[in-house]
Amino acid sequence: MQEEYKKGILDRLADKFVYALGSFISLFKKGWKEKNKSKMEEWRLMLYALNRSPPALIGLVLVIGFIFLGIFGPHLAPWKYNYFPSLENWTVQYPAPPGTSVYLPYSHKTITYPLGSDNYGRDLLSMLLHGARTSFVISIIVIFLGVPLGIILGLIAGYHGGKIDELIMRITDMFLAFPALILAIALSAVLPQRLQMFVQSHVVLEKLTLLLFALDRREVGNLGNLLSVIFAMIIVWWPAYARITRGSTLTEKEKLYIEAARAIGLSSRTIMFKHILPNIIGPILVYITLDFGGVILMEAGLSFLGLGATPPIADWGRIVYDGIQYFPRAWWLIFYPGLLVMLVALGWNLLGDGFRDILDPKTRRSIEFKVKKSEEAESNV
Amino acid sequence: MEPVIQVKHLKKYFPIKGLFFTKGHVKAVDDISFEIYKGETFGLVGESGCGKTTTGRTILRLIEPTAGEIIFEGKNVMKFSKEEMKEFRRKAQIMFQDPYSSLNPRQTVFDIIMEPVKFHGIEVDDPEEFVVKLLESVGLNEMHLYRYPHEFSGGQRQRIALARLMALKPQFIVLDEPTSALDVSVQANILNTLKDLQSEYGFTYLFISHDLGVVKYMSHRIGVMYLGKLVEIGPSDRIFENPLHPYTQMLLSAIPVPDPELAQELKAKRKMVKGEPPSPINPPTGCRFHPRCPFAKEICKKEEPPLVKVEENHYVACWLYAKS
Amino acid sequence: MSEPILEVRNLTVHFYTYAGIVKAIEDVSFDVYKGETFALVGETGCGKSVTSRALTQLIESPGRIVRGSVIYHSDKGSVDLLKLNEEEIREIRGSEIAYIFQDPHSSLDPLYTVGYQIAEGMEVHGRVKSIKEGIQKAVDILRSVLIPDPESRVKNYPHELSGGMKQRVVIGTGIANSPKILIADEPTTALDVTVQAQILELIDDLRKKYNATVILITHNLGVVAETADRVAVMYAGKIAEIGSVEQIFKNPLHPYTKGLLKAVPNPMTKVERLDAIPGTVPNLITPPGGCRFHPRCPFAMEICKKKVPELKEIEDGHFVACHLY
Repeated sequence: MQEEYKKGILDRLADKFVYALGSFISLFKKGWKEKNKSKMEEWRLMLYALNRSPPALIGLVLVIGFIFLGIFGPHLAPWKYNYFPSLENWTVQYPAPPGTSVYLPYSHKTITYPLGSDNYGRDLLSMLLHGARTSFVISIIVIFLGVPLGIILGLIAGYHGGKIDELIMRITDMFLAFPALILAIALSAVLPQRLQMFVQSHVVLEKLTLLLFALDRREVGNLGNLLSVIFAMIIVWWPAYARITRGSTLTEKEKLYIEAARAIGLSSRTIMFKHILPNIIGPILVYITLDFGGVILMEAGLSFLGLGATPPIADWGRIVYDGIQYFPRAWWLIFYPGLLVMLVALGWNLLGDGFRDILDPKTRRSIEFKVKKSEEAESNV
Repeated sequence: MEPVIQVKHLKKYFPIKGLFFTKGHVKAVDDISFEIYKGETFGLVGESGCGKTTTGRTILRLIEPTAGEIIFEGKNVMKFSKEEMKEFRRKAQIMFQDPYSSLNPRQTVFDIIMEPVKFHGIEVDDPEEFVVKLLESVGLNEMHLYRYPHEFSGGQRQRIALARLMALKPQFIVLDEPTSALDVSVQANILNTLKDLQSEYGFTYLFISHDLGVVKYMSHRIGVMYLGKLVEIGPSDRIFENPLHPYTQMLLSAIPVPDPELAQELKAKRKMVKGEPPSPINPPTGCRFHPRCPFAKEICKKEEPPLVKVEENHYVACWLYAKS
Repeated sequence: MSEPILEVRNLTVHFYTYAGIVKAIEDVSFDVYKGETFALVGETGCGKSVTSRALTQLIESPGRIVRGSVIYHSDKGSVDLLKLNEEEIREIRGSEIAYIFQDPHSSLDPLYTVGYQIAEGMEVHGRVKSIKEGIQKAVDILRSVLIPDPESRVKNYPHELSGGMKQRVVIGTGIANSPKILIADEPTTALDVTVQAQILELIDDLRKKYNATVILITHNLGVVAETADRVAVMYAGKIAEIGSVEQIFKNPLHPYTKGLLKAVPNPMTKVERLDAIPGTVPNLITPPGGCRFHPRCPFAMEICKKKVPELKEIEDGHFVACHLY
């Protein structure tokens, strides 16, 4: 019944990683490593739990790959997303299939398409790499603005209760009553012009947006569409988190340590953010991880409907949308972006499910027990 | 002797909400008055639902009272300014029944103890040394400094809770059934620690419990509660030697005693134990104990008995002793 | 009195949990005599509840009865309860051996009237032909557990009754088939003292009336002193001491029993200072070797760490598992 826990390479790596991390933090905070032994042990067990779940590891690899592409994709791309070979050589029939090489007479270069081209002769690989950045940045912004908004409102509603709770939750209900996709479509159809004007009147914001999406100065006119999708998705995303957070807050605030904190005299804000939030954040983190996939899927869906990023900005959903008219001849325009969206969404979902197990104290305790036993056995040898 | 806490006509009604309107009130605490003197332990005893826990929390204003006054060191707690309230939060502390939920599972022992200290701006030269000293005074040690609550047993957790409230150097501590979730062998440990700390630091305790043996061991004076009312107050010894109120008598005869010979004697007296406490939503009129009381008279059904003095420091609310 | 109805030998139950094998009880042996009240007393996690459930194989996964025997001497002859199959043990459980559990609020199904629940238990064991007949009988049973106005109470749902009334109904379901053995697992822990006194008296009256044997599981030494004839003190999955109430309370032998008795504040005597037992109850995955009490024992010797003490008879009917004797 009681099998020995055998440490694999990944587990030993996890040991080293946690130790290194502890030493690193200790450089800045003296004695941190000694004081946080329990915390580091917990991290180590979490990593062990991760190592024991192959789906979660696959998810992790996919997600790391996506983040890597999201950060470095535009720099790795052999061609710019807005370079149109069709302007130089119109003798070729675009979209060109994978493996085609085309000579460009004006710039004296030959362009080879490893994954094919689109109808303007743009390199699909380069567009996908640029598109990774678009998806990545959008998902980050939506999650990092939408989720905290929901969490804060949920905490306030759950902790204070009464009229404040009623007000916040009825507003939340209003947002949840609309089908999310319809609401996002409506918003991204109405908002672009206003956002366009707003961005162009704020130079810093304009430059920041261009930098984040790795776009040319020329694309300034298209920012409104991009931002409207982000805005629409934030509006759609927060209510679910407000509801989850409120629910967990309601159960957590009944616990005695919250009353103990009140008996000490701590303010509501301290109690909410220092005592309640850390204790309910686990399940929320799982949701966030799953939702990264969700945001990317929805963003691709909106682009596929023609909302959001407009050409020539590279976007996975948009590539599929534009490629549909050449289907099935130019299958690569549908297949490759579709595959990427699927893999990324799958990656986040697998990782999210993995987190659920890792954050479950039961899993950790069972590993802890076995690890301790095998470590004792090792030290006895 | 000066009272640390005076409770005057304290009431706490919880509304029962219907669909649109309030349907009625649970009279958890209904007009009780008592005082607790410096350095003593006042035991509050009664069965579940008698309002003893609500009383403890209302005194600390963790629950706002419906009516009544709470006087702490001569000042009305209900009229405290924000600064006075903060000071009150430092001086008056509470220890809870359930050691498994009274500590934040995400904080280390060090943080659990230091957070209130930092919040109240208490100057500490060396926080680590300060916390270790506190831990030692409750029977833990420096090994436990950076551990999390889940690494401790129930008794040890109660010790951590004790160290946390001691860090603030309080004057008055409400002990809300601090040992009822613990096993007897551990309970004895905690009770002894509480007694030692009291004689060392002069704490004043309000000790709430349903266990008469424990209350007797801990308290100097005892208040017996029944359905939101204080029915008897008196010195611990007198309550046990000469219980006046029929409810107190019933309660005493009902406790199982860990002594087989004495138990057989008590069994004979047990004939008077009958019935169960009624719901506090619609308590009986007059004396609330009259439906279970073997001595109930006509007046008991109609009028509430006043609290009258029967002997030195010994008061009872019963028509057997009062004149109408 | 001296005729045994249950002979328990080397009863061992392990729980196979995620954290390891919990050795909940190991080699527990005792006899229960006909007509007596036998108390199993001990602190949380000492295995008293597990023992009581293992008697009729009421151990659910991940638990398993590893070894041992429970010989039950009924009118029909003797049988080892642990060797019976699922069908046979169910015949006995509920009809010859009945249970009363701690929490009256969750031992009754909120969807059925109390009369139906009592009747159902009788119908299953063939004591009545139909539920209708059972409900009529239930009125008598409710009367025997001293519920006032049983004719109308029989139609009540559990939520309409108070805690004490519910426990009376639970006892009613227990005695409905006039069992030979009534196993009461902390029957009064969820109740107030005044109600507790009444319930204990009721159980004792019923024992005399039906000539039944009661096995009382409790952590409350006061309850034991009052109701039990003989007592087994358990610690960390083992029996530390068995004896009559007088022997256990007046002349405790095991250091754990002694410590336990000194740690309880007696409300009837003046206690200046309680003697506490140092340390905490060990976990049962890796219990201490030898005598399981030795890390907390003031009299621990070298041998206590190595050898598991056997139960020895010190005086008539008074057994103790300790190397001091």
